[in-house]
Amino acid sequence: MTDGAIVCVIDDDEAVRDSLDFLLGAAGFDVRLHASAEDFLSDIPAECGCVVTDVRMPGMDGVTLIQTLRQRGCTAPVIVMTGHGDVPLAVAAMKAGAADFLQKPYSDQAILDTVRTALGTETVNLSDAQKEARARLAQLSGREAQVLERLVNGDANKVIAQDLGLSPRTVEVYRANVMTKMQAGSFAELVRLAVYGGLEP
Amino acid sequence: MAYGLTAAAFAGALILSLHTGDAAYLFFALVVLVGSATGGAGPAVLAALAGASALAALSRDTGWDMVHFAGFLALSLLSGVCGAAKYRNRRTMEGALRDVRAHEAHLQSILKSVPEAMIVIDEKGLVRSFSSTAERMFGYEAGEVVGKNVSMLMPPPEHERHNSYLERYRRTGEAHIIGVGRVVTGRRKDGSTVPIELAVGEMRSNGYHFFTGFLRDLTERQETETRLQELQSELVHMSRFTALGEMSSALAHELNQPLSAIGNYLGGARLRMERGQGNDPATIEALGKAAEQTRRAGEIIQRIRDFIARREIEKRSESVSKLVNEASTLALIGAKPLGIHVRQDLAPEAPTVFASGVQIQQVLVNLIRNAIEALEESDPGRRDLMISTRRAEHDTVEISVADTGPGLAENVQDRLFQPFVSTKDAGMGVGLSICRTIVEAHGGAIWAERNEAGGTIFRFTLPATAAAAKAETAT
Repeated sequence: MTDGAIVCVIDDDEAVRDSLDFLLGAAGFDVRLHASAEDFLSDIPAECGCVVTDVRMPGMDGVTLIQTLRQRGCTAPVIVMTGHGDVPLAVAAMKAGAADFLQKPYSDQAILDTVRTALGTETVNLSDAQKEARARLAQLSGREAQVLERLVNGDANKVIAQDLGLSPRTVEVYRANVMTKMQAGSFAELVRLAVYGGLEP
Repeated sequence: MAYGLTAAAFAGALILSLHTGDAAYLFFALVVLVGSATGGAGPAVLAALAGASALAALSRDTGWDMVHFAGFLALSLLSGVCGAAKYRNRRTMEGALRDVRAHEAHLQSILKSVPEAMIVIDEKGLVRSFSSTAERMFGYEAGEVVGKNVSMLMPPPEHERHNSYLERYRRTGEAHIIGVGRVVTGRRKDGSTVPIELAVGEMRSNGYHFFTGFLRDLTERQETETRLQELQSELVHMSRFTALGEMSSALAHELNQPLSAIGNYLGGARLRMERGQGNDPATIEALGKAAEQTRRAGEIIQRIRDFIARREIEKRSESVSKLVNEASTLALIGAKPLGIHVRQDLAPEAPTVFASGVQIQQVLVNLIRNAIEALEESDPGRRDLMISTRRAEHDTVEISVADTGPGLAENVQDRLFQPFVSTKDAGMGVGLSICRTIVEAHGGAIWAERNEAGGTIFRFTLPATAAAAKAETAT
């Protein structure tokens, strides 16, 4: 199924690294483990099909890692794992070119799906995805776009309500409308679409 | 009145002198005495003039008698001086009496306005005076107490013993309470008791021996102190929530690691089981590892619970090293990705302090979190955090947290420990003031100084446990 492609896992937490090895291994992927971004960059496996990396690490963080990879011409899709409340970091990673991001704790199904998609990404036409995302963004009303901007910025509903002079309830309604119009199944997908569509927070 | 008397005396003298002739000057001199004694200089001079005129009129019939006239003048002068002196004396006495009365009224008004009650007893213990504040304090009217033994205001066993205390003092002269003052318990008329701060003064007057007791009702003060302590510990407790709140995203991240790992292990195990590999050693090992991660998550939660829990407010002997280790484990959560180089230099003799463990940890967590925030602003290459303990002078233990951050701005250095002074964007500015409250409540001191290596060092001291000092000298 993987055609010899390797999933490279980068995480400073040993338990997370080891457990990902077990899960991805059980799902039939070949896995290589790295304790840090520097460790990975010093010896990038030739068959690296996709990278799964934590965004917060001692030394080089996930965003810098993506930038460095791109500078070196490595186009392997990068999946970024973020903690709760790390939306701005996730957005930065998406802008730097991350294929997707996962908020910890995630379901095992979510990571397997994401890795599978990422391994097949090379065939996906990125410009098509961007065109589609821009088309969906264009359907948003002014208020909805404002709410989306702030959501992608990592603001909580309450903060958005205060900023825009709305009630939190109204913000929730706008948020639901945005999710529908953008056809986003999850918050992570919404952020990805917003970044693809070129929304500048 | 003095003039009336003088006039009457003059009339009497005039009548007498008409009948006696020679002795007339004596009578008129007496009039001067009456005038001066009753009214001072005014009536005396008037009486002398009137006497002189009367003598002059009389001498027209009898012939001018220079000897008698000179005698009259001399006697008038003498009686005038004597009478005036007596008059002055009486006036002075009257004045003094007025002064004494005014003083007494003044004293009474003071005694009524001071918060202390005053009770005077004699050497037999009988109440001689019972102030109105004392009436309010004990619920007795003064009339019910004065003349009775003061022990009626004391609950047992003092009630029975007080007379023997007085007896002992009379015999030995050894003062146990006089001039010292202490907290005693009083008994009200309704039988209830009242905490009292008692100060006793002694007075000897004309062979009599009195004791004056000043009594202050401590009920309100005790309640206030208790309430104040409750409020302070409440504040300190609440500020632990604030400290944790500021760490919440770091704590969430720290909890997410084991939770992610558990999810991964279980997900993988299910995939393997679906393929009939459920009994493989690898599957079983993964489940064991998942269980281990639940313990890891549990420990983090336990650490948070311990920190927030209300217990351990009581002070007891605590190992400084243990306090530092536990506090830094909690405070350093989430600090790893920042690449901070943490070092500990703990005194090997393992001193113990008499302290509330959780509150001292709170101080440490606060200082360490502050240090971490400061270090975030310095170059990733030099992010050093040093936590050290050492025995210091005067039987204290000094704990310090040193960072190599940007250091403190001059303008906050002086106000560092004041409430609502913050250098942080989202800071309430209560952290360090709470730290000071805690440290000072433990009899220690806290201060900040410049780190030689750049950055800031926060130091605080705590008194070492006496037991620890003994153990050290024994070894």
